Amino acid sequence: MPRKPTRHHRLLPVQPLTFSPFARSVARVATAYLVKHYLRDAPLKSAGDEFKEKLEKVDRQSESSEDEEFDGVVQADFAFFDPKPDDFHGVKTLLQSYLDNKQWDLSGFVDLILGQTTVGTVVKLEDDEDNAVFSVITALNLGRYKDHKCIAELKEFLLNISHEKDKIGNLRSLLGDKAQNVGLLVSQRVVNLPPELLPHLYDALFDEVSWATEDERKNANQKRPSTTDKDEALIYIKPEEEILHKLSMWSFLFPLQTQQVATHELKNYQLTGIVMAVKAENISSFQQQLHTLINES
Amino acid sequence: MATRLQFENSCDVGVFSKLTNAYCLVAIGGSENFYSAFESELADVIPVIKTSIAGTRIIGRLCAGNKKGLLVPHTTTDQELQHLRNSLPDQVVVQRIEEKLSALGNCIACNDHVALTHTDLDRETEEIIADVLGVEVFRQTIAGNILVGSYCSFSNWGGLVHSHTSIEDLDELSTLLQVPLVAGTINRGSDVIAAGMTVNDWTAFCGSDTTATELSVIESVFKLREAQPSAIVDEMRKSLIDSYV
Repeated sequence: MPRKPTRHHRLLPVQPLTFSPFARSVARVATAYLVKHYLRDAPLKSAGDEFKEKLEKVDRQSESSEDEEFDGVVQADFAFFDPKPDDFHGVKTLLQSYLDNKQWDLSGFVDLILGQTTVGTVVKLEDDEDNAVFSVITALNLGRYKDHKCIAELKEFLLNISHEKDKIGNLRSLLGDKAQNVGLLVSQRVVNLPPELLPHLYDALFDEVSWATEDERKNANQKRPSTTDKDEALIYIKPEEEILHKLSMWSFLFPLQTQQVATHELKNYQLTGIVMAVKAENISSFQQQLHTLINES
Repeated sequence: MATRLQFENSCDVGVFSKLTNAYCLVAIGGSENFYSAFESELADVIPVIKTSIAGTRIIGRLCAGNKKGLLVPHTTTDQELQHLRNSLPDQVVVQRIEEKLSALGNCIACNDHVALTHTDLDRETEEIIADVLGVEVFRQTIAGNILVGSYCSFSNWGGLVHSHTSIEDLDELSTLLQVPLVAGTINRGSDVIAAGMTVNDWTAFCGSDTTATELSVIESVFKLREAQPSAIVDEMRKSLIDSYV
């Protein structure tokens, strides 16, 4: 006769839907707002740019029990913070499949990101005891960090995955002699992060880059690997990638080995990565288009 | 000696492996590096067996065992069970148990003499544990967490528990387990001890994020540094004079 599990204080009254880090994060958010009935104003931790938005996040179906009220909507207060050493585990979880399933110095890479407190943003909840990281965005100058093992491995990965002969030359020069002028854009987030945050995230990043490089804003070409779906048409998992793809100088696609949770609609699509190089002059246009895109949708 | 390693970029080596004094189970991974790390350390002493449980790679969290036996959940397939029975030494009893809490590795922490279990475990399961593993079973919590198998890791010589465990709890657990315990972390501040490491009486494997401080704590509490017989005698002399908590 099956036993009913006794109700102990469960760490997560709302159960995650899938076994993945972002599902756990979402469950944590939902839990946090079952407990907190009101949002407290706490002193903001970072002195730099921060941005508070009250957002209504539509929750997926919840496994509610007798004593939990759940009308399907979660109030969430996201805040932007400068990267700190405390965020190590959260950021590392987000970047777990950054280079597909290649084994590389991911911890070193995360340390680089967290060491750069002037450029980069980490999105977390206000007053979250779990310190869960929902999104990370930063730009790393490839020339400045070229001696680090993780950057060398990353360059090797990019050069190995590109099969198009003409692009390899471009890529090699960007990674080699022009590296001082090239920034790697790292942007990763949980799948269901509200898109309203995106324009502000990117604005904050590009502002910080321009402040950090002071007067001299060289042609900082930006490039990053990111994930998309591809079959006949390209479906972009992240909306800003479509805009970047249109503005890019050149780009190429590569197949991904990691397993991703496939939703029903995306069953026929294959997970593909994309590498793009974007000129710095096009960034303001990108920011404008991103604002329009998000505000329209 | 403690070794640092990774399973496919993940530092949670305790999730993908199970180490005891009589055998070692390893998940079938993307690269051979994980398996060879165990092989190079243990090959001559105990068998290192590649396996899956219930078709998954998270074998360390699904099964529980010591040198006398291995308990696997009801989701284990017949082929996996047969493979385990064939590969393990004869004196190790492999038993599949019908228990609702199927992540046995998260619910049970044990060495060759004592086991700590999840408070909601079935009575029959408790009896099977006592029978198959030859241990005394105690239902406990660790720093308020019921998943005792996740938040502590102990061998016949020492144990490491969740960093927020109070002194009173540490004393109580230490008395139950009859080994010295220390509250600490693994993998650069993670409290999920058993996910980040796996240990037996003479060696331990930790995630590569583990800091040098964490590693030295592990080597000292699990008594991994002593390789010479004379060192063991010295330890015995010390224990006659002083007592560990």
